[in-house]
Amino acid sequence: MNLTYLFRSLMSLLLVLGITAPGLAGEPTEKIRQTTDKILSIVSNSALKDPSKAKERRKLIRSAVDERFDWDEMARRSLATHWAKRTAEERKEFVRLFADLLERTYMKKVEDYSGEKVLYGEETKDGDHARVKIRIVTKKNKDIPVEYRFKKEGNDWLIYDVSIEGVSLVNNYRTQFNSIILQSSYENLVKRLKDKAELK
Amino acid sequence: MKKFDLELTVGLFIIAGMICLGYLSIKLGKMEVIGGKGYDIHALFSDTGGLKSGSPIIIAGVDVGRVKSITLDNYQARVILYLTENVKIQEDAIASIKTKGLIGEKYVEITPGGSEKVIEPGGRIRETQPAVDLEELISNYVFGKI
Repeated sequence: MNLTYLFRSLMSLLLVLGITAPGLAGEPTEKIRQTTDKILSIVSNSALKDPSKAKERRKLIRSAVDERFDWDEMARRSLATHWAKRTAEERKEFVRLFADLLERTYMKKVEDYSGEKVLYGEETKDGDHARVKIRIVTKKNKDIPVEYRFKKEGNDWLIYDVSIEGVSLVNNYRTQFNSIILQSSYENLVKRLKDKAELK
Repeated sequence: MKKFDLELTVGLFIIAGMICLGYLSIKLGKMEVIGGKGYDIHALFSDTGGLKSGSPIIIAGVDVGRVKSITLDNYQARVILYLTENVKIQEDAIASIKTKGLIGEKYVEITPGGSEKVIEPGGRIRETQPAVDLEELISNYVFGKI
C-alpha cells in the first residue's frame, strides 16, 4: 500500500471518532474527544448527506476543526525561518492559505468516514504543552498510532502539530516549504498554493 | 660515537612519527567538530534507533555538532547534544533521528523553526521525532496487523 496515500487517508481519520475509551481523561484529551464527536455527528447526519448540502456540511466540519487547530501556530512553525521576513499582511494571507491547503488535502477523507475506530491512549502534560496519543483501527484491522500536540491558550487547549507513525505534519510541510522557497521564492510558494486552491 | 648518533637519530624520527600520527588521529577523529567552543542542549526521544555518542548533528546537510551522551530517563532516551557556539536553535525547532542511506548510521537532524525564542545552553528541544523502525513499518503495511 502506498505510504503517502495511507498517510493522507489516515490523517483525516484523526478527526473521526468511533468508540471512545472510558475512564479518566485529562483536559486535552477531552477537548479532542469533543471535537471528533462533533465532526462525527456532522458526518453521520443523514440530513446533510445529500450532495446539495455538501458545501454546508464542509463548512460545519471546517468550523469544528477551526475550534481545535491553531492555524497561526501551525503556519508559523511550517514556514519556520521564512516567517520572520514576512509582513503582517503576508502572514495573514499565509495562515489562510495554509489552513485551506490542509482542508483541501484532508476534507474528502473525513467525509469518507466509514466506521473506523479511534482508541484514546496516553496523555502527557509538560507545562503548558501536552500530547495525546490515539490509535486508529481501520476496517482491515490496521493499527495506526497518531499523536496530537497541544499548547494551552488561555483556558483552551489547541493543536499545533499531528504526528502519524512518528512523522510530524509540521516537519513535513516545513521541509517542503523551505525547499520551494530556497529553490524559487516565497512569492512562488504563495502562487503555487493559490493555483492549487483554484483547481478545487 | 657514530653508532650513538645513528641510534639517536632513528629514535628521534620514531618519536616524531608517533607524535604526527597522534596529531593526525585526533584531528581526523571525533574531536574535529568539537575542537571549537560549543554548548549543550538536550532532547527526549521515544526511540533513538541505535543512535550513538559521537553521532553527527546535522542542519541543512551541514555538520553542526555531535551527540555527547545518551541515557535512559523515565523510559525515554535523553540525548545530550553538543552544538558549535554560533548555531542557534529556535524554541520550535524539530529534532528527528534519520539514517544515512537506508541502513547506514543514525544521526540527528534539526529543522529550524520560526520562533523568535532561542534555546539557551542547558535547554531542551521539545519537538522530537523518533527513529523510524523500518522493519516494523514494512511488516505493518505488508502483512497488516491481527
